[in-house]
Amino acid sequence: MVHTLKEEDVKLDSRPKKFIVWLFVVSSTIMFGGWTSYYIVFAASKGKGHGLVLPDVFMYSTGVLVASSICLFLASRALRNQELSKQKVFLWLTMLLGLTFGYLQLDAWSSLYHSGAVLVNNNAAISIIYIVSGFHLLHIFCGLCLIAATLFGAYRNISLGRLQFRMEISSIFWHFIDILWIYLYVFLLLNS
Amino acid sequence: MSTITLHDTHNHDDHAHGHHKETFLTKYVFSQDHKMIAKQFLITGIIMAVIAMGLSILFRLQLAWPDKSFPILETFLGRWAEGGRIRPDFYLALVTIHGTIMVFFVLTAGLSGTFSNLLIPLQIGARDMASPFLNMLSYWFFFTACVIMMSSFFIQTGPASAGWTVYPPLSALPKAIDGSGLGMTLWLVSMICFVASSLMGGINYVSTVLNMRTKGMDLWKMPLTIWAFFLTAILGILSFPVLVAGVVLLIFDRSFGTSFYLSDIVIGTQVLPNEGGSPILWQHLFWFLGHPEVYIVIMPALGISSEVISINARKPIFGYHAMIYSLIGITVLSFIVWGHHMFVTGMNPLLGGVFMITTLIIAVPSAVKTFNYLATLWRGNIRFTPAMLFAIGLVSFFISGGLTGIFLGNASLDINLHDTYFVVAHFHLVMGSAAIFGMLAGVYHWYPKMFGRMMNAKLGYLHFWVTFICAYLVFFPLHFLGLDGVPRRYYAFTEFEFMQKWVTVNIFVTWSAIIAALAQVAFLFNFFYSIFKGKKAPQNPWEANTLEWTTPVEHLHGNWPGEIPTVYRWPYDYSKPGADADFIPQTVPFSQTMSSNMPHDFEGNTEAERIQNDWNLKQQSLEKSKQD
Repeated sequence: MVHTLKEEDVKLDSRPKKFIVWLFVVSSTIMFGGWTSYYIVFAASKGKGHGLVLPDVFMYSTGVLVASSICLFLASRALRNQELSKQKVFLWLTMLLGLTFGYLQLDAWSSLYHSGAVLVNNNAAISIIYIVSGFHLLHIFCGLCLIAATLFGAYRNISLGRLQFRMEISSIFWHFIDILWIYLYVFLLLNS
Repeated sequence: MSTITLHDTHNHDDHAHGHHKETFLTKYVFSQDHKMIAKQFLITGIIMAVIAMGLSILFRLQLAWPDKSFPILETFLGRWAEGGRIRPDFYLALVTIHGTIMVFFVLTAGLSGTFSNLLIPLQIGARDMASPFLNMLSYWFFFTACVIMMSSFFIQTGPASAGWTVYPPLSALPKAIDGSGLGMTLWLVSMICFVASSLMGGINYVSTVLNMRTKGMDLWKMPLTIWAFFLTAILGILSFPVLVAGVVLLIFDRSFGTSFYLSDIVIGTQVLPNEGGSPILWQHLFWFLGHPEVYIVIMPALGISSEVISINARKPIFGYHAMIYSLIGITVLSFIVWGHHMFVTGMNPLLGGVFMITTLIIAVPSAVKTFNYLATLWRGNIRFTPAMLFAIGLVSFFISGGLTGIFLGNASLDINLHDTYFVVAHFHLVMGSAAIFGMLAGVYHWYPKMFGRMMNAKLGYLHFWVTFICAYLVFFPLHFLGLDGVPRRYYAFTEFEFMQKWVTVNIFVTWSAIIAALAQVAFLFNFFYSIFKGKKAPQNPWEANTLEWTTPVEHLHGNWPGEIPTVYRWPYDYSKPGADADFIPQTVPFSQTMSSNMPHDFEGNTEAERIQNDWNLKQQSLEKSKQD
């Protein structure tokens, strides 16, 4: 009896906290919305966008990020089915793919840089590519920290309820930044 | 039943466990208790308000006596007031920092931070916030922001001086003026900390209100304070991130050489390499936050005065639903009016017309609120407590300042009035004075809840009357300066012939400001003295209905000993016909107030209506038999 009550408590306790993550997602979306609306107004008033062919690396990195999201989804499913070792494997994979994504983004920056599209530019539409992808990378870093915390919890054998909570938080956040990147990438592709 | 008890003991154990480890540091400094965090916000807010008020007195001295020397200023300010006269660049820094502190640190963090933190858990019946840790972090980010902002007074080039709206290119070029150097960088860093704090707070408030209400507390039984804080927090979540987006671009322009806001600039003989940017884009991003921000400032004050006016008029608030819908209306409209700050930027007149219409529509919900306040007061059994006076003061300022908003909202009038003292008069009344009066009403009203003691009412009356009269004497004359075309932020009125005749008015305004500032000493003394020596407060000093007055006077982490009370009715059952007392707390079930229940109380519950009808019939027949 007491045990079930405790579990209920954890559930009750985690709901508002999960909601906090959702609200963070909203406010973060709006921040990126601020930049993309800057871009739209800028492009409309100057009659020009960034005018670049975006480096292919962005395409690969998008693929990698989607793959990482799939891995994270599989990790959550493994946890739901109580397959803890499988969960750890998928979490590691997500982490690895996330790091690869980070590397690829830097690689894309360097190819942008070498093509002459540098940050300090008289076309603000080019500078803003660095801003949005840079701030997205910051989000990736935070997401990796969350996944690391989940992995850490999995190895420390924390209670199932708490592990599930961490897993859910990381999932909400990671899928969000995945979708966010797809939005930014498509936005930049369409508004060249 | 047993499960509930069990559940509760468990909860309670948790808190008792927390108490074991409580040290000075965890209780007073890094506290995670929402009541302590509220006090931290309030006291920090008061300190910042005093500082910002001091700054305003300094620049008022300059405005009134532009040619006079005050040697004492040099003693205190040194280089900033060489020869006893405030330097022009320091004057600009003074108005900038005064505005920034008042808008963001006092009326956003000091107001929302204090009362959302104090009242949300107490009035909806929760043990604490959704995330107490985030709540604590929110305060410390705010504190850091304050420290960084104040530190800019101690650097060689002085604080930011480009006005609280920090328009580029002035703010974007470190070489443009002294204040755009390190001071501006500190301003931006401070603002990032502040936005982080606001977001953490706001996200917490929304999550708490939506997820942690006690049993029976549905959204339409929440006090109007909670509705106001809730919608304010939503506004913050939706608008502050845009400020961050804008600030980040400004930081890149300043420090990395990008051209988001810069184009075609020559400093002296040097042509800057930046090209292609547009300073207007900053204004769009800034005012997309900036306009909701003024509602972030005023809505909590409106919520507080709704509550205070209803309690002290001993009447239900007039038009509870209309009050909420008008708050929602203001919230929604506030996002589509930002362009009215930009009528003179060369905006397409058609677009200006759209912004004008949306702006003027805001008058509708604002008027609904105003008339509801007046209708609540009408034939009320009014108790003129200091809190009540300040709440009525808010209504007064909201009307007199709001009316000029209709002038300014018209694009064709705004072209004349833009950037004149008319604007200064308008917003100092409608969002400055009104919001600070709402905040003071809150302080006087909930002081017993915060500190367990009462504030001195006599000093409160003195504080109110002097502040109220002086606020009008300060801000009302400024309308006439504005109508005459006197621009704001000018350093010396003696430099322009058409402005010279206004110097005498400035002297009058400055004296009024000085007297108003002195009146705040009565408040400060009252506030800090009463913390230690005030009269001990009873549990429900104002005979109010809301849940916070069911908690013990002595604070405990978790708010209620034992079970959290259940809510049965809306919070405004004052002077209900047939009731024994003139107030019925939210925790009293209808079964205990059979003599005063109304058919609409049961919200269509036919069974309850039938029971009530039976009871009424029985009462009638009893009375009949008595008469016979």
